[in-house]
Amino acid sequence: MNAESVVRFVRTRREATVLAMLVLVFIGLTFASEFFLTGRNLSNVARQISVVGIVALGQALVIIAGGIDLSVGSVIGLSAVTAAIVSATTGMPSLGIAGAIGIGMAIGFANGVLITKLRINPFITTLGTLSIARGAALLITNGNPQRFDNWAAFLGYGKIGDIPVQFILLVVLTILVWLFATRTRWGRNVYAVGDNARAARLAGIDVAKTRILVFTVSGSLAGLGGLLLGGMLTNANPNLGLGYELDVIAAVILGGVALSGGRGSIGGVVIGAALIGLLRNAFVLLNVSGYWQTITIGLVVILAVGADSLNRRSEED
Amino acid sequence: MTDCLLSARGIAKSFDQNRVLHGVDFDISAGQVVALLGENGAGKSTFVNILSGALPRDGGTIRWGGEETVFRDTRSALDAGIIHIHQELSLISSLSVMENLFIGDYMTGRSGLIDRKALAARARELLARVGAGHIDPRVEAGSLSTAEQQIVEIAKALARNARLLILDEPTASLTPHEAEALFAIVRDLRAHGVAIIFISHRFDEVFAISDRVVVLRDGRVVGDRPVAETTRAGIIADMTGRAFTFDALETPVIAEDAPVRLKADAIADKGRVGPVSFALRKGEILGIFGLVGAGRTELLELLCGLRPLAGGTITRPDGVVPRSSTEAWRSGLALLPEGRKTNGILPSLSLAENVAVAKRQKSGGVLDLGAEKSLFARFHEALGIVCSGPGQPIRRLSGGNQQKVIFARCLASEPDILFLDEPTHGVDVRTKADIYKQIQDLAKKGMSVVFVSSELPEVLALASTVMVLSRGRQTLLAANRGLTENDVLTAAFAQA
Ligand SMILES: Nc1ncnc2c1ncn2[C@@H]1O[C@H](COP(=O)(O)OP(=O)(O)OP(=O)(O)O)[C@@H](O)[C@H]1O
Ligand SMILES: [Mg+2]
Repeated sequence: MNAESVVRFVRTRREATVLAMLVLVFIGLTFASEFFLTGRNLSNVARQISVVGIVALGQALVIIAGGIDLSVGSVIGLSAVTAAIVSATTGMPSLGIAGAIGIGMAIGFANGVLITKLRINPFITTLGTLSIARGAALLITNGNPQRFDNWAAFLGYGKIGDIPVQFILLVVLTILVWLFATRTRWGRNVYAVGDNARAARLAGIDVAKTRILVFTVSGSLAGLGGLLLGGMLTNANPNLGLGYELDVIAAVILGGVALSGGRGSIGGVVIGAALIGLLRNAFVLLNVSGYWQTITIGLVVILAVGADSLNRRSEED
Repeated sequence: MTDCLLSARGIAKSFDQNRVLHGVDFDISAGQVVALLGENGAGKSTFVNILSGALPRDGGTIRWGGEETVFRDTRSALDAGIIHIHQELSLISSLSVMENLFIGDYMTGRSGLIDRKALAARARELLARVGAGHIDPRVEAGSLSTAEQQIVEIAKALARNARLLILDEPTASLTPHEAEALFAIVRDLRAHGVAIIFISHRFDEVFAISDRVVVLRDGRVVGDRPVAETTRAGIIADMTGRAFTFDALETPVIAEDAPVRLKADAIADKGRVGPVSFALRKGEILGIFGLVGAGRTELLELLCGLRPLAGGTITRPDGVVPRSSTEAWRSGLALLPEGRKTNGILPSLSLAENVAVAKRQKSGGVLDLGAEKSLFARFHEALGIVCSGPGQPIRRLSGGNQQKVIFARCLASEPDILFLDEPTHGVDVRTKADIYKQIQDLAKKGMSVVFVSSELPEVLALASTVMVLSRGRQTLLAANRGLTENDVLTAAFAQA
């Protein structure tokens, strides 16, 4: 790559803009707070990034396929309490893990089937399951938080050396999802379906199966996210993950995925999640009100997407 | 027939109340090229869509290799070896060219992973075979021009093991040169025993490559003969249901002192086209010819303000030089863009709205929907648009009829200068003649027209002045008096 193509790359790829922001925030924090570069704080940041990142991987596939999954926040809550209750009642934490991921998978699969077979719009379908899953979590717990501190929870709170287990999971899953998206038949079909579903169908691609697949993956990863989040707090609250879908979708969009489908990179999504995690950490370290945090994240999304579409405006319409 | 590869009997199809196919019988054997002809809306695309599993049929039977078969979806037809290149391009624009060539399986090996190197190598081979070795298989398909995408579609058919290849107006966006390359491929496939159904509105192509000619009219087969027993006049009579003659077109003579409407002085963009200079007079019809990639579309975009001017000047009597397409339409320019599906139609909107977007009919500040309907009615009649009414969504129309609606949109704004990029793309003979006549009448009334065409006879029949571009450079600008096809082609291939 020569200098010109590097500049072109940075100008035309949203994830490059976001990566630049990420580096800036990182450098800024290094100078602004002496605690920032401590092992303890960095491992906190890594934890903060992990769940958003893992759930965003699935969400990215859904959005690339031209859909959207609003139910992930509620699935996090439901799967966390499922993990706690199943492992407590059976005494087998491994069943708790299976239960958390299984319930997420089931909801994701249901989303996919409703969308493709009953032809309900993804926004509406997942808005419905968002409500249903949250309600179910509250119902089975009667609204009470559940203790969750067996070894299954270790995935959430544990560390290997200074590195949180969930962060390792994020890295492994990112590589797997990236391979899936760029190097497998099904992965490329996801892009094809999101870009032009009709043309994909005429090319012999099974559009419905592809859509069901991405929603199932998204649901499963949200289920895992719930397990990790509950484990991290050693306490599964039925309200866990409330509003989480917004952070997850923001991370995906920051990562350069087009909301209209067909475009986006998996690496970018992790960068997006990292930026959000870092910003959250910044507010804690700098002791700024949490309300500002919410406002800033909104501004960053608009800024990043705006900068990138200014650069590409001529091609779009 | 027993040696038939495919044999269709009594194929029927309706859309809502509209019966489009009334029992079509059709046979094709291996190694045969059958031309399927008919006017816009005759049912050609619908019929071949049924053969390739893209549309379900209402009645009739299909035998494939002697066995009765139902292709429920494209997948099963593809697996049987039926490859259909659709009238509207259907590449996935965000995937790379090589992924499009092998869409669906991407040559995944035993590992389950795509080997991008092998994929690229195989894609290069295929592209070279269709004479498109210059296309980098790794670029996004969406970044290619319309013609390049068409070539990729054809390479895509080669990537699969085709037994029946269906080409729905494959040459509509190709230049004669590229079309010739396509025919070489078709002949090669035929020699290898592939059966080919070829839909086109260009008769010379039909005579050049087909063995048999089948004519559809209003969803019925009205002619089925070996090509040796057909004549151009005979086919037209079958298509239209009556004998039909072209009024010879007389190219209008432009007075030397007619006012200049637009003057371009050494205009250029950032590298694709220019320098180009000409003066367009009132009532003049400027025909621009060139090979694909010569920069014709870019030139029109430059003139309409869709592409920034990097050099030279444009002058108009009122001094307005548009910098956006809104300004262009407002200042009395109208553009019919190339690629009707991506740049032309508003698919879900009604026909009346598709016409009226250019010139909203208002009364007392609100839209006058009645007036918009009658605006449409005016063109409905004049252009012979086949449709069920002004409220029908445009995506339900056949390709050629969609083109007529977009043409109507341009006329509705009553422009001073009309820019047309491949105006007769996918339009049948009779309508072509109608459109030519319309253009000439408008020019006689003082409208100036600039049109781009890949059909040389069209340029020579219609233009009062001919411009030729070759690789962005202007290699010919001359009054259309005594110009021969040879002159124009020489200029088109000139290495300026
Ligand atoms: N999806 C659809 N819904 C409703 N009507 C349709 C649909 N597709 C096609 N039609 C109608 O069926 C008729 C035949 O259309 P078809 O596309 O087969 O014509 P064609 O012979 O291919 O014409 P052209 O030369 O313009 O491509 C047209 O009158 C069209 O309006
Ligand atoms: Mg057609």
